[in-house]
Amino acid sequence: MTIPAARTAPFVNESGPGEAPPVRELSDLAVLIGGQGGDGTLTVSDLLGRYFRLKNLYVYMTRNVLSRIRGGHADASIRASREPIAAAKPQVDMLVAFDPEAVEIGMADLVPGGTILYDASVFHSDVPNAVGFPFATLVGSQLGQPIYKNTAAYGAISVMMGFDADLTRSVIESRFKRRSPEALEKNLKALEIGRKAAIDAGIADRYRVLDGDAKDQILTTGNQAVALGFVVAGGRFFAGYPITPATEIMEYLMRYLPPFHGVVRQAEDELAAINMVIGASYAGARAMTSTSGPGLSLMTEGIGHAGTAEIPIVVADCQRVGPSTGEPTRHEQSDLSHLAHLGHGDFPRFILAPGTIDDCFRMTIDAVNLADKWRLPVILLLDQALSQNSVTSTPLSLDGVHVDRGKLLPKDLFDQLTTYKHYLLTEDGISPHVPPGTLGAFAQVTGNEHDEFGHVSVNPVNRVKMMDKRMGKMVHAKAELPPPHLFGDANAKIGLIGFGSTWGPIREAQQVLALKGVPTRFYQARTLWPVPTETLGPFLDSVQVAYVVEHNYAGQFAAMIRETLPQHHAKLRSITKFDGFSFRSPEIVRRVQEA
Amino acid sequence: MVQSVKPIPSTWCPGCGDFGVLAAVKKAAVEAGVPTHEEVLVGGIGCSGGIHNFLETNGIHALHGRLLAQAVGVKLANPKLTVIAAGGDGDGYAIGMGHFIHAFKKNVSILYIVMNNETYGLTKGQASPTSRIGFEGNVEQPFDAILTALSIPAPNFIARTFSGDPKTMTQVLVEAIRFNRANRGFAFVEDLSPCVTYNDTFKLWRERVVDISKLPGYDATDRKAVFRLCLETMDAGKIPIGVMHRPAETEPASALELKLLPDLVGPAAADIALEPNLAGYDRLLKSLA
Repeated sequence: MTIPAARTAPFVNESGPGEAPPVRELSDLAVLIGGQGGDGTLTVSDLLGRYFRLKNLYVYMTRNVLSRIRGGHADASIRASREPIAAAKPQVDMLVAFDPEAVEIGMADLVPGGTILYDASVFHSDVPNAVGFPFATLVGSQLGQPIYKNTAAYGAISVMMGFDADLTRSVIESRFKRRSPEALEKNLKALEIGRKAAIDAGIADRYRVLDGDAKDQILTTGNQAVALGFVVAGGRFFAGYPITPATEIMEYLMRYLPPFHGVVRQAEDELAAINMVIGASYAGARAMTSTSGPGLSLMTEGIGHAGTAEIPIVVADCQRVGPSTGEPTRHEQSDLSHLAHLGHGDFPRFILAPGTIDDCFRMTIDAVNLADKWRLPVILLLDQALSQNSVTSTPLSLDGVHVDRGKLLPKDLFDQLTTYKHYLLTEDGISPHVPPGTLGAFAQVTGNEHDEFGHVSVNPVNRVKMMDKRMGKMVHAKAELPPPHLFGDANAKIGLIGFGSTWGPIREAQQVLALKGVPTRFYQARTLWPVPTETLGPFLDSVQVAYVVEHNYAGQFAAMIRETLPQHHAKLRSITKFDGFSFRSPEIVRRVQEA
Repeated sequence: MVQSVKPIPSTWCPGCGDFGVLAAVKKAAVEAGVPTHEEVLVGGIGCSGGIHNFLETNGIHALHGRLLAQAVGVKLANPKLTVIAAGGDGDGYAIGMGHFIHAFKKNVSILYIVMNNETYGLTKGQASPTSRIGFEGNVEQPFDAILTALSIPAPNFIARTFSGDPKTMTQVLVEAIRFNRANRGFAFVEDLSPCVTYNDTFKLWRERVVDISKLPGYDATDRKAVFRLCLETMDAGKIPIGVMHRPAETEPASALELKLLPDLVGPAAADIALEPNLAGYDRLLKSLA
């Protein structure tokens, strides 16, 4: 690729279409913005998101970045729709390219006749429908710095898409008003540079974006919803170690928790993080950590300790591509097998898998309550797409939120005791308990096998009783674990099973299949461990075939279902994807129709 | 009165140096005015890590090497508790080394006692990070925790004691616990605690220990001078003991828990019921709109 000399004039019509195409009316549109890390692609996507939200459209935003601060190709996509959406659009309507790679990568997904808008000061494209503006040169020559080129591109997009000029401008103001006055001023100028270039080139109003009615929606990510859920659940202690794609949970909590007597610590490693959480929980705080695959491997030791010492902890695992360092910024759901069996020895744990923003919020509260009540580790299983993609959602509400502290003994009940045993054997496996600092009681905990007082014990009779106590929790708690959500035709003979962010593409695939006369029923698993056989069994009874849709090589959840419901072995099919990207609905539709 | 967990008889070998530490911890806690129900002992893995079982107190038997992280979690969740972490040299200086270094940096007001016997006693006498060259085939440089501690310029309390002198040890522990209870920060005490079975150094150490804090003109606030004195003492074939560092009385308390929780009401004491927090939660959720 030869880079042409810097230009200040647009390339319109040099490579673009001969005649202006008709205005395209869009009720569901997608823009893909690509460039080198540092080109500001995420900013363009953010600005578009703000505009579409002002137009009351539903929004779904993804980002595809490399694990480096600057450089390397990065892209961001934004979808806006008049209907609720929870997945990227299978095809994009407009491609915005700051580097040639963006065109190469994005072309495959461009709708026929879609537009490419590119920075002609960086490269030249001969692709039909490509419109080049020398954004960097234009902005650089007029503002002294080319870095505002992304805002100029936003200006050009706004003209092409027929945006309202005042709203377009107010988006810049809302985004940059908290920065320096200079940043705001330069961005407003850059916006005008981009707008003028597009107007002068005669490409205004190629599209018309229809207004939506999604007024009362919020725009957020799964990670933010988890952080908020933790606060509302009474979570007050968090320790973590930075890791993509989980870090934002820690960053949000650093902002949220201090006013509530909360403590957030960035630990020296994941070993310290999980053990700080264990210590804080022992002391009586509701405590959580978040991590991703590599950190989870290190935390495995601590999770086992919490399981046998009966210390409530919540671990949010935001999955990325594994094993080892894998692909830090890419999407996968391949930690599940590890989580179900993690640690040496047998100990109880629950794995909850939210699929939507509201799930992330509410199931974090569930996770905190369940951990506290049943005194064991609860894993909150997210994936990169759910963690980091920005999605419109109904506002998070406190309706139905409750704090369940299980058998934490209030003072009056404690005072009636004649004997306090921290590991008292009970029918449901939960020992009534008080935190350290309670006058008259001592709490002794250990990861060694222990008797009811917490003294180390290798007595075989005690060992069996204690194992039964702990492992029995997974049976006794089953009715309290988050139930599945079922979608689609109750009489359908084709079943779909999925968890996490596949909720979005599966729901879309269902709609497409229904239009093709193929009814389906979708079982969104929200508890993965223990495997919810009580609801999965009847679901599998009701269908002739069930596709387990998941992002890993081995079909991990399908294998867990086969293991626990072997009678349905022959009905189960796997639809897997492990290339680092989320499913798009046509991939699921095709696999179902191929059969 | 509720009957709660009682101490069990010690599992240590007769004559073990750890008995000195057990007695000193017991006495020091009383002398420093710690109510037993507000004391939390966090033990590591190894012979010494069982110490909480032999005391009438709250206790965590932590994972190998992770006792400091758990102790920090306890203290930050409830700063009212007096938290004493106690373990061995393998636990603290080998598998737990990362947490050890960071404990000085974090400066949370907990006391960490390392019972250094220069061997892995419980697994039957292997070389540890502090083992002398030649012990069980050790060819690596023995690690010195006091020099390491002194090299981190944080306002910590740092001392080394000897199980053969339980009286001085008790005094040092009382000072360390008081330092913690005044929220002045992290206190580290390494006790030379011989393993009578695999590395009986009682006689050797009694000959070699020099309480440098008793030397004329000694000033435990002068980090540079103490570091030099330690090196000179070691060069002379001796083992320096005594209080190695304490911040000047005039230095304001600056423990991490004070920075994070100025009123010392921590996560465990926070009222987490929905009702009293509604206004705050509402504000947070509305910030998303």
